[in-house]
Amino acid sequence: MNHLSLPSFLLARLRDGLVVLFLVTVVIFVLGHMLGDPAALMSPVDASEQEIAHLRHQLGLDRSFAEQFASYFGSLVRGDFGQSLWQDRPALTVVLEALPATVLLTLVALVFAGLGGSLLGILAGARPESALDRAANFLSITALSVPNFWLGLLLIVIFAVKLRMLPTSGFSSWQSLIMPASALAIIHGARVFQLVRSATFEEMAKPYALVARSKGLPERLILGKHILRNTAVTMLTTVGWEYVRMMGGAAFAIEVVFAWPGIGQLMIHAASRQDFPVLQAAVIIAGAFVIVTNGIVDLLYRTLDMRVRAA
Amino acid sequence: MRTSLIKNLALLSAGVFFLLGAAAKPSKLVVIAVSTEPSTLDGQAVIDRNSRVASGNIFESLLDRGANGEVIPLLAESYKNLNDATWRFTLRKNVKFHNGEPFNAEAAAFSVNRITDKAYKTQRASYIQKIKGAKAVDDYTVDVMTDGINAVLPVQMTQLVMVPPVAAKDKSFGVTPVGTGPYKFVRWDRGREIVLAVNKNYWREKPSIKEFSVRVIPDPQTQLSALQAGEIDLVLDLLPEQAKLAPKFISVPATEFSYIQFNAHKKELADPRVRVALNLAVDKATLAKALYQGHGKPMDAQHLSKGMLGYNVRLKPYPYDPKQARQLLKEAGYADGFELVLNAPIGRYLKGEETSEFVAAQLKEVGIKVKVQLHEWNAYRKLGRIPGTEANAFDLKYGWNSNEWFDASRIVSHITCKGTSSKLCDKRIDELMAQGIRTLDQNARDRYYQEVWAILNKSPHAIYLLQQNLIYGLAQRLDWQPRLDDEVNVAATRVSE
Repeated sequence: MNHLSLPSFLLARLRDGLVVLFLVTVVIFVLGHMLGDPAALMSPVDASEQEIAHLRHQLGLDRSFAEQFASYFGSLVRGDFGQSLWQDRPALTVVLEALPATVLLTLVALVFAGLGGSLLGILAGARPESALDRAANFLSITALSVPNFWLGLLLIVIFAVKLRMLPTSGFSSWQSLIMPASALAIIHGARVFQLVRSATFEEMAKPYALVARSKGLPERLILGKHILRNTAVTMLTTVGWEYVRMMGGAAFAIEVVFAWPGIGQLMIHAASRQDFPVLQAAVIIAGAFVIVTNGIVDLLYRTLDMRVRAA
Repeated sequence: MRTSLIKNLALLSAGVFFLLGAAAKPSKLVVIAVSTEPSTLDGQAVIDRNSRVASGNIFESLLDRGANGEVIPLLAESYKNLNDATWRFTLRKNVKFHNGEPFNAEAAAFSVNRITDKAYKTQRASYIQKIKGAKAVDDYTVDVMTDGINAVLPVQMTQLVMVPPVAAKDKSFGVTPVGTGPYKFVRWDRGREIVLAVNKNYWREKPSIKEFSVRVIPDPQTQLSALQAGEIDLVLDLLPEQAKLAPKFISVPATEFSYIQFNAHKKELADPRVRVALNLAVDKATLAKALYQGHGKPMDAQHLSKGMLGYNVRLKPYPYDPKQARQLLKEAGYADGFELVLNAPIGRYLKGEETSEFVAAQLKEVGIKVKVQLHEWNAYRKLGRIPGTEANAFDLKYGWNSNEWFDASRIVSHITCKGTSSKLCDKRIDELMAQGIRTLDQNARDRYYQEVWAILNKSPHAIYLLQQNLIYGLAQRLDWQPRLDDEVNVAATRVSE
């Protein structure tokens, strides 16, 4: 793809992104309508068929599948995501209300995961088998092997219940952000660490690094200048990928554990109530985030890679 | 050097203590946790318990439940039955809605007509069956019209909340609710909390708690942690294994009855002796102890508990008697047993999957091979509605039956020949159930329903399992009592500081 000019590169990415987004929308729509019956779910257990049918009609769910599909997509291209079945408000409003909390949480977590993971990765990769390397490696493998919700619960028990240092959950002050962001940062930072560590390790074994070392250049300089530049591509793409991973589910599990008012918690509620318009809007918005992030990562990769090659 | 180290340590620990103190200070606000955020606070639209924690303290109905579950006046001073299809309510005077609108006959009639309007979207449709509408007679008298005789109208009126005619016409009523209750709506931070403050003009005794918040915490483990950390005061549904970890807990029998319904149209299950045998084969007491840690007890072979209308005091849980069960099966010609499929929903009822497996294992002991089949909720519901005479109808179905009406008529769909969920047909039961809903004399109704349960005791419609408990987790400072109808009444709650 490197031979493409920048505008055509961007256009190609945009086209691919839209195709993916369209497919996501189709899948979520079809799955939702095949599996669920929101009207039955909304009615009391002993409601008669007639009462359920009445509610189904009020919700517009008694139209044929094709009809619903066509009207949904027709509205969608006009930016109308439909009304929430339960809240009687536009689904998009519901999702956009919850979005800032998710963006705040994931960006803070990403910064810490990226900085922490990369720094430790370079230091550990430069000195394989050192105490630092072993300790960091052990911790990152541990972090990667525990389920993320479990790590969240562990933090809550230690820092909120036992030590009473932080609030258990919710979003009432900046302190509320510490634990969920840490839980996310630890898990994603662990993977950044692993990848940066092995990239550094590989770079260190390359002739130029050996030469630099044999010339007696201080390690600080080798790491800070040469190695950093050559592992930057790995770092950036890894961090970008971790963001995709967060927005693809990890952040949502953490949101539920910490009662964080973002779109993860919203999706869980919408799914359990089969509020399709909200669920669809949330998935599409999250999908758009993933696609845009991917695009940015690709763009950065392209730019950096070209520059690295040129250098 | 040494002194400065000590000094630094002292400073550091002071700083830490300051931080700890700041974070651990108990919130002045009383906080109640719910696991899902309400979709609307319009008290006429929703039924789920999580919504009612907020809306139940904002709105009031004409009638209410007393301490023993009896129907008592609330916004009505009195009521009487005028004729078969009309009930007359005399209203309390000097009651105002939070926004200043007067509560009068016009408002009461509006409220009834709003919820019964076909165009109005409500989950409460089956709660307002047979109510046709209402009209104001004078300023403080309102008539409610029913579709023929409706013996449960007073019960229905305990749940039909009053709304102000002007404010309720606004589209935003569900997010800015207005009622006559002890608390008024303050704000709703989506995904976080709903805040309510005391209604200074409340017509009854003013509550002692000035303000409270309903906070959304989806994860049960996090709810418990927040309770332990002193951040919240009340958790609605603790798990049995969590109860002892809470600062305080209250476990009360709920109006929820778990059972395994028979398809009495199926060849082997058509014989009443077989259905009695299956009841004898299950050790309900051990089920309550092992799976629910005692937070539940064997029900008295009826989906009712003492004090509810139609409760038959002579009936006791079937004893656990596998020997007698085998004997009955032998008499019925099934000495070698047979095979059945037990259907249960996934993730719907607390420990429903485990209970199904437990029962299957117990039935195996008397020679009946039971395969447990799990279904997604909607599929499970559809299955439940297939008539028992059809080939794809279920054999056995696990479920819970709730009876927030405290009235045996609530079971009608399960045991009458044409009931939507029924897999049993007995002409006498049909007669008695029909009489029960057509008779206004509550004592006579009580007798009809008692007879129904007596018939079912010889020819059961289900394996009667447990009356389930609700387990509330409380902060040490909270002085709160659950109500029989599971409503969370904050007005009667106190906090010791």
